Order: sequence, then structure tokens, then C-alpha cells
Amino acid sequence: MANGTAKPPGLAFSRETFAKLTPGPFLQAHLQQPEPIRPNGRSLDAFRTPTIHTGSLSHSNGSAVVRLGDTAIVCGVRAEILLASDIPHPPGEDTSEDDLVERLGLLVPNVELSTGCSPGHLPGNPPSTVAQALSYRILSLLHTSNLINADDLRILYTEPASEDDLPDEGSKVVTKAFWALYIDVLCIALDGNPFDAAWAAVISALKSTQLPKAWWDPDREMILCSPLATETHGLRLDDIPVASTFAVFSTGSALKQRSEAESWVLADPDGFEEDVCSETVTAVARSDDGGVGSITRLEKSGGGAIGKAAMGRCVHMAQQRWREWQGVLHGG
Amino acid sequence: MPLDTSTYGLAHLRLDGRRWNELRRIHGQISTQAAADGSAYFEQGNTKLLCTVTGPQEPKRGGGSSRDQSNEAKVEVEINVAAFSGMDRKKRTRGDKRVQEMQYTIASAFQSTIFTHLYPHSTITLNLHVLSQDGSLLACALNAATLALIDAGVPMSDYVSACTVASAPSSDQSLDEQDPLLDLNGLEEQELPFLTVGTSGEEGKVLVLIMETRVQVGRLEAMVSVGLDGCRQIRGILDGMVREHGKQVLESRMS
Repeated sequence: MANGTAKPPGLAFSRETFAKLTPGPFLQAHLQQPEPIRPNGRSLDAFRTPTIHTGSLSHSNGSAVVRLGDTAIVCGVRAEILLASDIPHPPGEDTSEDDLVERLGLLVPNVELSTGCSPGHLPGNPPSTVAQALSYRILSLLHTSNLINADDLRILYTEPASEDDLPDEGSKVVTKAFWALYIDVLCIALDGNPFDAAWAAVISALKSTQLPKAWWDPDREMILCSPLATETHGLRLDDIPVASTFAVFSTGSALKQRSEAESWVLADPDGFEEDVCSETVTAVARSDDGGVGSITRLEKSGGGAIGKAAMGRCVHMAQQRWREWQGVLHGG
Repeated sequence: MPLDTSTYGLAHLRLDGRRWNELRRIHGQISTQAAADGSAYFEQGNTKLLCTVTGPQEPKRGGGSSRDQSNEAKVEVEINVAAFSGMDRKKRTRGDKRVQEMQYTIASAFQSTIFTHLYPHSTITLNLHVLSQDGSLLACALNAATLALIDAGVPMSDYVSACTVASAPSSDQSLDEQDPLLDLNGLEEQELPFLTVGTSGEEGKVLVLIMETRVQVGRLEAMVSVGLDGCRQIRGILDGMVREHGKQVLESRMS
């Protein structure tokens, strides 16, 4: 006789155990449902709603705290003076050079991830490749988008007319110094997608930056600043670009046929999804005057699962996201 | 001079309008980060700190025989001073001695308060982020860490509350009329001799007492007693914050 007709009990795991043991199939099980949904409850195209607080730090010229779900990033902008006499090859006065900001290094972003923001980033370590890459991506985006006008960072001095000048020449205006902005980004909590949050923190902090009124004192031969809060000026930032990051989860592998692989594009990945997906797309959108929207930057790495159509959708979603961010950036 | 003797003598008001025994505006928020075991944001005037607690957990850098000997949890503290926090932009390197000393002080203060015997062979890690510095950094760090540890549910014998006290500059008047000043801001800390005192418990057991400047011995007792009273006030404020937070959590669970 058989031992019994009772079936052996099946293995039953809780959701959290399943997620820890096999994160890939866990995510795939969610996405393969008729109504695909992500483990965090969002739909595939849903971004997290950001909250921004600016101006909370008293010692910085500008500051912002951005929360994107559980990712929290603080950014502080400090302005320091770079004397024109310290520059080896000072730029000319007449030319309005687009790359002045880049050439003189007037914007210095630094992203600090080794703060204990997540188990993968313990404090006391030198910057990881992720942190270094983030710093560089933000720097290059600041330069290529021409966000800051170099004229906002000049400290001008009108030279008094001397006897040598011709009577109708007018007084000469020279740039005696530049403001260099040190943008320090500190990650307090990381739950995926540090780039979007860091970029949002940087632009919010720059928007709230107030530079003191500064002038060149010819007698003391130094730059003096006014301590009055009423005499500060901000930076002109029109047309702020907004970044949107997507992760691509694919079931493809070297053992399968390429056509058999399924892939899904997840907007604004959180920590769990980032660990599982190797492919990411970042699109930085900006407005055109017509409101149609232009793309300032497109970055993609990690695999070849998505093609032209999916990329087009990502770009479209990035432009949509730009519209959502305008409300947050200008309203908050 | 921040404490221009002449004006202080007239109205006995400090630069920011406080009297000698008034604390700065204190604000705290518990459980600011869902991802950490415990977290708190604490401000005392313009000194703003964020503290997160992870643990008790397995020691990260491998057990080793030295770790197995102790039957208690180990408290580790890491302080991260943001470059934009102070008056000058300064990037603190890893081996900064001042920061290391502060880390050690905080760790040893909590090592004696936390019930470490309940978690043998484990580590409790405190990460402090300094967002803005304006005096009383060590005191604020201790207060922020207390709130974060309570949020993490780590059992402790009592709150650890801390504050700073300075001795007003000597004037032509008699030495008896020296007011110890409570809770210093950045300017006052630079100019005056001061000490940081941290206590635990209602009766004010002193856990931390640090003084790095010179002061006359006769003034010391007055400073310490004012400091103990200040710590008692701060303890009451911290207690109020924790109870308020607990009420909110309870109400959200009920509804």
C-alpha cells in the first residue's frame, strides 16, 4: 500500500523571502501579469512624486532638499571668488564665450554617496565609481545645457576715465573676478535613481542661490561684498532641463533566442529594480519656446533589449515628466 | 566682538537677543527616513543634524577573535560633515582628528547608556550628517543620536541630552557677577571659553564633559550647574518630541 495519498506540502514563501531569494523571477512574475504592476505598487510608466524644499541651510548661498520616494538628497551651493588676476590666460572682455563657464571651471559639482545612505554605500570609503560617474554626468550636463550664463558670475568694475583715454571712448568695464559655485550634493537616503534626484537638487539649489553684491575696491585692491540680504541677486535660469531615468528589465540571456526575450521599461526605478536591471536609459528634456520640447541629452547603457520604438516612448515620457516637474519647481 | 562687554552689561542680552539662560530654538523630527532602522532630524538654532541608526546587526568587518571576547554590542559612530555646513567651504577628509574625537566621545557616551548586554556580538552604527554648523556641534550630535536611537527601538537606560555653557568675559565689575551663558552659537563659541556637558537621566548623571579652552577654576562650578540645568530642559524637550511622535504613530495605526 502506498504510504498515503497526502501530497507533500508545497514550499510557501512570504513575499519578502521570495524577493530576497530570487529577485529576477519575483519582478518577472509581477510584470508578466495581464495588468503589469511593479512590486512597489506603481505602474510601469509611473514616476514618483518629488518634494522639494529650498533655502533651509543658513551657511550656503543656495540649498535644496529633494525627496523622490525614499531617495533623499541635499544640495548646497557655496560661491567663492576667483580673481581674474589668478587666471593664467584671462578671457577677453568683448567676446561672449559660451564655454567660459567650462574653461574656467566656475561650476564644481561633487556628489557624495559614501554617507551610509544605503547598505552598499558605507561611510568612510573613497568615492565609488557610481559616485564619480554621477559627479561627472552632472558636470557635463551643466556645461552642455548652458544653464548658467557666465555674465551672472562676473564681478565687474568700471574703470574711471584717465587722461590717456579719448574723450568719446566712454569708461571701460572690466571683469575683475568671477564667482565660482561649489555645488555639494549629499545623498541622505538612496532608494534608486540617484541621478534624477541629484539633478533636481542641483537645479533647485541653483534656482534658490543668492549671490551677494560684490565690487572691486581699487584702493584696497580686493573684492568687497555687501552683507545686506536686500542687495543679493539670483542666477538667471530660464529653461531648466529635467532628467528622467528608466530601467529596462529583460528576460533575455545568452542561452535564449533574442526574439524570445521579453523586456519591460520601468520608469524611475527604485533600489530593488535597479539591482535587478542592468540596462538604463536617461533622457534629459527641455522646453523649446513652442512648448514642443527638445532633448538635451540621451544616455543609454547596459544592454540592447530595447529598440527604436521603446526609446521613442522613453523620450516622450521624459517630455511628459518635464511638464510635471515645472509645476513642482516653480510652485514649491 | 560678539559679546561686547559694554552692551552686555547694560541689558544682559546676547547678540541674538537671548538672555544668559535661554536655549535656542529647538526643533526635531523623528523617523525621517523609512529606509533606516531609526532616524531623526534635529536642529538647535542654526546647527542642523541628521542622524540614522542601523542595527543591531552583524559586525561588518568580519568577527575576529577580539570581537568574540566581549559579550556586548559595539556602538560605532560616523560623522559626515557636509562641505557646505560651515562658514568656509571645507571638505573634511576621513582622518580628521577633531571628527574622530567627536566620534569616540559619542560612541563611549552611548556605550554606557544603551543596554548592550542584550545584543552580544553585534554592532549598532550611528551615522550623523552635519548639514549646518553654528555652535554646539557635539551637544546637538548627542541629542540627535538619542532621538534616532529611540526611533530605532534600541533599549537605553535614559535619554542622553547635552548642551554647551560658556563663561561671560570678565569686566571691571566684581568677579561674582559672571553669568554662565547657556547654549552657544558659532560666534560665541569662537570667542568665549566654553564646555560641553552631556547628561543622562532625570537626576542628571554626567556622561560627557568636554572643555578645550581655559577658564578660571572658580567659574567652573557655576558653569557646570547651569549646564546640568540646561540638559534637564533639553531632556524635557526631547521627551516631548518622542511622546508627540508616539501619539501620531498610535493615531495612524488606529485609523
